[in-house]
Amino acid sequence: MAGDATAQVQRNARLMELLARTALADQRAFAELYRLTAPHLYAVALRILREGAAAEEVLQESFVNVWHHAASYVAAKSQPLTWLTGIVRNRCLDRLRRREIDTVTMDDDGEGVNIAAEGPTPLELLLAGADALAVRSCIEALEGGAKQAIALAFYQGLSHSELARHLKQPLGTVKSWVRRALERLRACLDSLGVTR
Amino acid sequence: MNFRAPGRADALASAYVLGTLRNRARTRFERALRTDAVLIDAVQRWEERLLPLAEALPPVAPPARVWTAILARIRADPRTPRASRSAWTSLALWRGLALTALAAVFALAVGLLVTAPERREGTLVAVLAAQDTKPVAVASADRTGRSLTVKLIAPVELAANRTLQLWALPEGGNPRPLGLLPATGVARLTLSGPAEQTLRDVPTLAVSLEPQGGSPTGLPTGPVLFTGPVQRLY
Repeated sequence: MAGDATAQVQRNARLMELLARTALADQRAFAELYRLTAPHLYAVALRILREGAAAEEVLQESFVNVWHHAASYVAAKSQPLTWLTGIVRNRCLDRLRRREIDTVTMDDDGEGVNIAAEGPTPLELLLAGADALAVRSCIEALEGGAKQAIALAFYQGLSHSELARHLKQPLGTVKSWVRRALERLRACLDSLGVTR
Repeated sequence: MNFRAPGRADALASAYVLGTLRNRARTRFERALRTDAVLIDAVQRWEERLLPLAEALPPVAPPARVWTAILARIRADPRTPRASRSAWTSLALWRGLALTALAAVFALAVGLLVTAPERREGTLVAVLAAQDTKPVAVASADRTGRSLTVKLIAPVELAANRTLQLWALPEGGNPRPLGLLPATGVARLTLSGPAEQTLRDVPTLAVSLEPQGGSPTGLPTGPVLFTGPVQRLY
């Protein structure tokens, strides 16, 4: 969904209005908010959890949460879709954490990491996402391995040890790739005015 | 985990938002995130940097049963207002409040009754908390009084050059500043008129993180840390 800027601004204004009305317990506004954002948020959850039933549950929990806490958005500074995406991603990562705790006795070097086979690869998504935000230069400035690691962690929810296995690198190498890539991203994105 | 070392808060916030901060480290970070304004601010900035990248994902329509389940859950929830208001609705609303919040309200209400020089007819109370977490502050006012008392239940970690500012969030209008709050203890803020009038159109109060001296613009400029619905106990 690359960037017709006016359409973006209009969509954000619409979502803000719907969130504000949801905060006042307007069920019709809430239904419209769901209609406009659920397909995007469901895609986020599906990629990270790689399981339809779990993604459905996260979507359900997230929107119930939004219904009760929409008021905490009203004066917040972030864009509405960013706020919603954060809620969904945090719940997904909570689930991954529980899965990891449940399977803590399983060996760490067993089967490889299951990456979604359909649709664009994480790296393609990262570049497309960066294009839409006009920050492609920041992504392209990252080294190949670091770029892969950031894409896999962000879109697929891979942990450091999963990244190490998938990229066939020592854990320490992957950790420092990610840390350095985030530092460079911060400097680059901020110089392009991504944050306030 | 030391969140105070230079650069540490930001590095942890970046890993938290990217998703690579996991397990116990994530749990510890989330616990600190409830009250640490520096961390809240760092996380919000990283969310602004990274989360819009998720919009590149091709949308996938969720099955219709998801919406059906959401609707069933919010309609069954006692916090969801019914079409007709009755004494029972407000009772149900009370039942829906978190127990900790209730305890805080009652402790405060009792305190007010004991200390108030004369009996008032009612009180406005707002319990302020970050999303899904324990209350951080309780704001209360006599409905006819011109002052709002804000008690910090949990101390808030603040950088030296930052302050907390309380806002009224009116229905369909801009936030109105109510005053600055200390990171700990009790603040007594003066309202422009009797509380029941000043806060008449205000369903929610919010606390934002601002530069020292408060927002220079008259509107919140920093992240909103805590919010709470205004309860009218009359």
